[in-house]
Amino acid sequence: MASEVGVQSDVTMTGGVGARTLHLKLLRKQWQILALQIVATVALIAMYLEVVSTYVVGSIDHTMLFDSIELIIGDQLPLGDWLTGEGREGLGRFFVPLVLGLTIGGGMAFLAFQSPQTQQRIKLGFIITMIVMLVGRLIISWLTGMLFSFDLRLPSDSELQTLQWPLLMIMSLVILFIYLLPVIMGTRGIWGLSRRSIAWAIGFTLIFLGIHAILTFPLIKGQLGSYGAQFATLESQVSNPTIGLFGFKLVTQEQFNLIAIAILIMVFQESSYGVIRYLEYAYRLPESCKRDPEYVRQMDNLLNGHLRHTIGFLGLTAIATMVALGFHSVLLELVSNTTGSQWAGQVSESIELTLTYGLVISALMFLSLMAVMRFFIPWQRVWGLIQSRLPSNETAQDTGKEFAQIDI
Amino acid sequence: MWTRKASFTFTGGISLILIGMMISNHQMMILGFAFVAFIVVNSWISGHGDVEVQRKLSADNLYKGDDLYVELLITNRSNRKTQLLEVYDNIPHEMKLRSGLNQMQLNLRPGESARIRYVLRCPLRGHYSIGPVSLRARNTFNLGVEEMYVDHHSDIVIFPQIKDIEEAFLRSRTPKMYTGATTLRTPGQGSEFYSLREYVPGDPFKNINWKAYARTGELMVNEKCRDAVTDLYILLDSRDVARIGTVLKNPLEMSCVSSASLAAFFIQRRDSVALAIYGDGLSYLPPDTGDKQYFKLLSALAGVTPKGNMPLQAVTNSLSGRFSRGSPVFIISSCEGDGTVPAAVRDLVGRGHEVTVLSPSSIDFERLVSRIPRMSYEVLKLERQNRLTTLAGSGAQVIDWMPDMDLSQALMQVRGY
Repeated sequence: MASEVGVQSDVTMTGGVGARTLHLKLLRKQWQILALQIVATVALIAMYLEVVSTYVVGSIDHTMLFDSIELIIGDQLPLGDWLTGEGREGLGRFFVPLVLGLTIGGGMAFLAFQSPQTQQRIKLGFIITMIVMLVGRLIISWLTGMLFSFDLRLPSDSELQTLQWPLLMIMSLVILFIYLLPVIMGTRGIWGLSRRSIAWAIGFTLIFLGIHAILTFPLIKGQLGSYGAQFATLESQVSNPTIGLFGFKLVTQEQFNLIAIAILIMVFQESSYGVIRYLEYAYRLPESCKRDPEYVRQMDNLLNGHLRHTIGFLGLTAIATMVALGFHSVLLELVSNTTGSQWAGQVSESIELTLTYGLVISALMFLSLMAVMRFFIPWQRVWGLIQSRLPSNETAQDTGKEFAQIDI
Repeated sequence: MWTRKASFTFTGGISLILIGMMISNHQMMILGFAFVAFIVVNSWISGHGDVEVQRKLSADNLYKGDDLYVELLITNRSNRKTQLLEVYDNIPHEMKLRSGLNQMQLNLRPGESARIRYVLRCPLRGHYSIGPVSLRARNTFNLGVEEMYVDHHSDIVIFPQIKDIEEAFLRSRTPKMYTGATTLRTPGQGSEFYSLREYVPGDPFKNINWKAYARTGELMVNEKCRDAVTDLYILLDSRDVARIGTVLKNPLEMSCVSSASLAAFFIQRRDSVALAIYGDGLSYLPPDTGDKQYFKLLSALAGVTPKGNMPLQAVTNSLSGRFSRGSPVFIISSCEGDGTVPAAVRDLVGRGHEVTVLSPSSIDFERLVSRIPRMSYEVLKLERQNRLTTLAGSGAQVIDWMPDMDLSQALMQVRGY
């Protein structure tokens, strides 16, 4: 049946001063978007530091590579030690390069929002600077040398020596860039809204973990000889757990660090992709919808939901992984406590359990149990009950027409 | 249902666990466990709860080219949030969004409502249905997706456009036939008193003359004089050949516009209008006047589709007996592919009808969509001219209607024949 239908609302006509719209310019400054971007950046930094501290520092870090190069060339590399982190200990070697990586990534993100003309100019300026830095001194000294001696000749050895510094500089920068690739690309992806860059950051980290895993495989590590000994390896046998929940010791510190890496990868991925997904949606909306308070309100709901889920569900994922990894000890402890028999103690000391497949079977059993539980426990209702008990900050419902007329 | 992302995450997780086991690498295993745990934890909450959808339209009937305002109210009736819910209102592909959007991503709190308002332009006549409403519930991390429909439809009829017709022209040719309502000395529906007669079951009570009943003791009813209205007969060609041209500009569309405009013009003058649509079969709406008849005519015209190949003579043979004597007949046809048109026209003229043939030029419509060589066009045009001249020779008024010509302008041509 036909009835009175209100025209689309418009914040510019109803909202007054400071009315929010879904234009990217405003949306990018919205606190939820900024919060998601900050969460993603923190996760990226934490993930990088965690990976680096677990696998790289003291075994294959960039300062060791720089030291080796300096030993080979018998000279200092052009990059200052304060920048590369040489001479510092532990994770401190990565602090300044990390800031450098964040700055470069941020700069690239900033560049992505400039006009194509400005981008082209900056890129051109960078290329020219690099070329001048590389061959500038050589060309100037060579040409002036030929000019003053009125002689057409090839560059002399002393003139070719001028290439050494720029080449070493570029090489140092390239090495540093490779080490910082996840941070640079990740920062560019988060703040420059680039899916590809985020994929690069995650992909590079996973590839690194994969290559490291292959190289530390005992058979391959043995073949690598003294080079293989450099790699930081994780023990295949699990030591006694020290970290846990509700009185149950579930995982070791080493396992906890590895769980942290996995969870941080997911936090980084979900937050950064989430921002891009919501901004893309807002960008595609027609102009009238961007100004419609209904769409603005729902965008708030979506972003709030995403923030809550990022914290809640990824926290639960971390706990579930921890419990899964320590499930065998939980089961054995339960059996031991309830029956008081020695069977549990004997099993817990068995080689089958401490080796990987015992752990994997028990962990997969726990995860399967959790997956099946959704058919027995009405999570939806439980969730609804919790939500209905939570204090509600409902916004006033839209009642009737909000304004008289709008030019369409 | 799992999304591609969920499938990849799960497969990747299991693969990492297996590879990790093979090479005794804890990092890979733990990464794999984390991926699988991520899927498991997120699978606990799916769906969108109980969502109620209501649609309001600004009108049930519109004229072609008008705007339709639509409002969709989505309410979360459950006790939990809907999560990421995409709502998409299915609109007929013939309609175009003019303002707003027929979809929204939302996350409704318990009891919360959201309104989607949009404006549709209706460029094509017809009977349409808006709906159903598609719902797609997604997990926040896009790991699970559920698609469903809310079977909520809103029907709408888009009438053909009504064009202004120059009254002066129609009068000039047949001044007596189109003079509007005058009373006739015959019983029928009208406003003036004709006579008293005895009540027969089925007569409306409001027609009972109570004074006469009191006087005679028998139920008597007032009989009215029939208003002299012109019975106009419109014969609309909706054969398959009428689809030549573009979607918006083709002989059938123009025929519908002209039929609706003529009907509107004559009904406004309290004349009676009948409509016969022939194509696949014959659909006949007997002559009548008033708003109800007008609505019936427009509804019938809204649903006309080009199909079939019924000859005009078959129509006139079956209907001519029902035509009021001397009433005007409008034949709206491109006269293509129907050799019976001259004979049918001759027959109608012979029966004393004032026949007007309004013929949209199908060759010119065809030129809108395909390139016709100049020579072929000239020949086809000549053939068409000959055909129309034959019809004019049979005693009909013939109007050659070009695609870019206004209806009132086209009707002016009748003086030329």
